[in-house]
Amino acid sequence: MPPAPVTPEAVLAYTKPTSGWMCPLNANSYGIEFLKFEIKDYDTNRVVYQVAREPDPEPLPEPLDPEVENMIRSVKYTFPASFLKFKTVRTLLEFCVGPKPAPNLRMIERHFFKDKLVRTYDFEFGFCIPNSTNSWEAIYDVPEYTTAQINDYVSHPYAHKSDSFYFVDNKLIMHNKAEYQYARD
Amino acid sequence: MGLLTIIKKVKQKEREMRILMVGLDNAGKTTIVKRLNGEDITTISPTLGFNIKTTTYKGYKLNIWDIGGQKTLRPYWRNYYEKTDALIWVVDSADLARLEDCKAELHSLLQEERLFSATLLIFANKQDIASALSVAELEKVLDIGSITKRRCRVVACSAVDGTGLREGFDFVVSDVSSRIYLFS
Repeated sequence: MPPAPVTPEAVLAYTKPTSGWMCPLNANSYGIEFLKFEIKDYDTNRVVYQVAREPDPEPLPEPLDPEVENMIRSVKYTFPASFLKFKTVRTLLEFCVGPKPAPNLRMIERHFFKDKLVRTYDFEFGFCIPNSTNSWEAIYDVPEYTTAQINDYVSHPYAHKSDSFYFVDNKLIMHNKAEYQYARD
Repeated sequence: MGLLTIIKKVKQKEREMRILMVGLDNAGKTTIVKRLNGEDITTISPTLGFNIKTTTYKGYKLNIWDIGGQKTLRPYWRNYYEKTDALIWVVDSADLARLEDCKAELHSLLQEERLFSATLLIFANKQDIASALSVAELEKVLDIGSITKRRCRVVACSAVDGTGLREGFDFVVSDVSSRIYLFS
């Protein structure tokens, strides 16, 4: 029996980080590519993280070496511990879409610390125009962490993990992971 | 607990508004959104898709959909009408050559059933340019008088120096909130 399709409802019910990938790389038949990601402290405009790239000139070879695949699909962040004290954060994501329209794009991101769910982001981009370049900038207030919590995050590098799921019309087309460590400033 | 109470609770918790920003290309839509948040506006390139901005304004969470206005992109606007609480139409008040085009696009947009209940704000942008038409002149040229049966306001603004932007967004937010958050 084929495995049940991975729906938004299914990933919203996950209680710990995934092991493995919930969809193959080639599930992204819409040619969605991330071009830029930026995290800033809203109050000081200080850049905490910034990465930008050009769209891939050609598709990736298949089959892909699992190690290479893991490298492409996961990222390790090192943030300053002061990041946990920011009141307001500004994130910017830029992505492009291939020649097919992508109806109803939705992102669900699940954050875990020590295998316990700490936060969920759920955002509907909606329709994406073929061959478009789009951006999403979010300015949001961060819940306050206690000193004990901050110490906990700092002393457990990479215990903070996230799974990012992208759906087009409720079908999973991308799954990426991230791990975070916090360094004393 | 009645249904109304439940709806009220959900809305109060979220207090979200969806704002759709459209208009001809080069009207200044992206610049307005950036300027509103005090960001750098020196390097803005034409929008070839959408720019979504999630931000808070006066205690409300705004999701602003700024969609590219180039001719090839306009047929896609209709994909963004659903659930729109407010429509912001941006006009380049100094682009006299395209005002007829602007008027035609605006009035065809207003025929759209899914936008009937949306608050309408028209930003008469680029007032910092000497040749820009005034609000009164624009209202005439764009035939704003024929827009009835909906809340509508034309606000003079300049995305470059920031004048008028707050006034416009204040109108949008207070009008939408008075309509949706009736009980809050």
